[in-house]
Amino acid sequence: MVELNHRFETGGDTAHNWDAILDLDRLIPCVEGGKVLERESDEKAKAEIKVKMGAMSMTFRGTVEVASRDDDARTAVFAVRSKDTGGSGYANADVTFALNDGGGDINTKATINGKAASMGEGVVQTVLDAMIKDFTTKLAKL
Amino acid sequence: MPTTYGPEDATLTVHTKRAGAAAKAGHDLTILVERWSATYADGTLDFEADPRSLRVLAGEGGIGSLGDDEKAGIKQTIEDDVLDGSPITYRGGELTLNGVTRPLEFTFDGTEGRAEVKQTDFKIKPYSALFGTLKVADVVEVKVRTNG
Repeated sequence: MVELNHRFETGGDTAHNWDAILDLDRLIPCVEGGKVLERESDEKAKAEIKVKMGAMSMTFRGTVEVASRDDDARTAVFAVRSKDTGGSGYANADVTFALNDGGGDINTKATINGKAASMGEGVVQTVLDAMIKDFTTKLAKL
Repeated sequence: MPTTYGPEDATLTVHTKRAGAAAKAGHDLTILVERWSATYADGTLDFEADPRSLRVLAGEGGIGSLGDDEKAGIKQTIEDDVLDGSPITYRGGELTLNGVTRPLEFTFDGTEGRAEVKQTDFKIKPYSALFGTLKVADVVEVKVRTNG
């Protein structure tokens, strides 16, 4: 498992940020290559992410769900469960947002296997880190 | 008496290496230049190559093998984003690439030749993907080998 911590800033107040991250239609496209395929409920969506690696790409398809939330503390855990459409691998993650004025903190615990994991945990961690940093820059514009 | 060469009697290839933290995800490429012509006289080689005639022959490494679609995608990227159709010429020991002309050593013994081209010397930004963690190394190798 890979665990990463990041901070994001939006400049907006916590109530605004809270509404933004809980809107899966807005949140999921903030991941590069991510899109909502179908909304199953307010707090669950079928989604996919296409990770481009130059000419090649890997597509992970699955669900993103608000697994738990604390509206008073402004914390929410998103459960991502996805499978590699081109193989037998999978990419799962529990992503915890803890909001405060001006932004928030993101804790990501990811488990990846299959072809992507064959690059080695260090590489997976580096790529995930870069991907989440890119994600935080897009969150800033929500 | 100058000797002339072209794709019918020699092979001109470009060899790229992957770099970056996620280099394992990429491929080292062998790229064939399909349209070019050269003259060799008095120990000096001059040539010109069509920047839209590069074709990916093979890719080594990566977490999957390159298929025809991926090879075609790389060709398109080279044409659109890397070389952008700009003429490629090598005359009098100077390479013109991407509109930039600089001295470059291209060794050639009448049978084999090679040169190392640093992309950034010619204002080419080496291709990168995966949020910058996967890159084409700045230096690419160019080789020519006569047939037979």
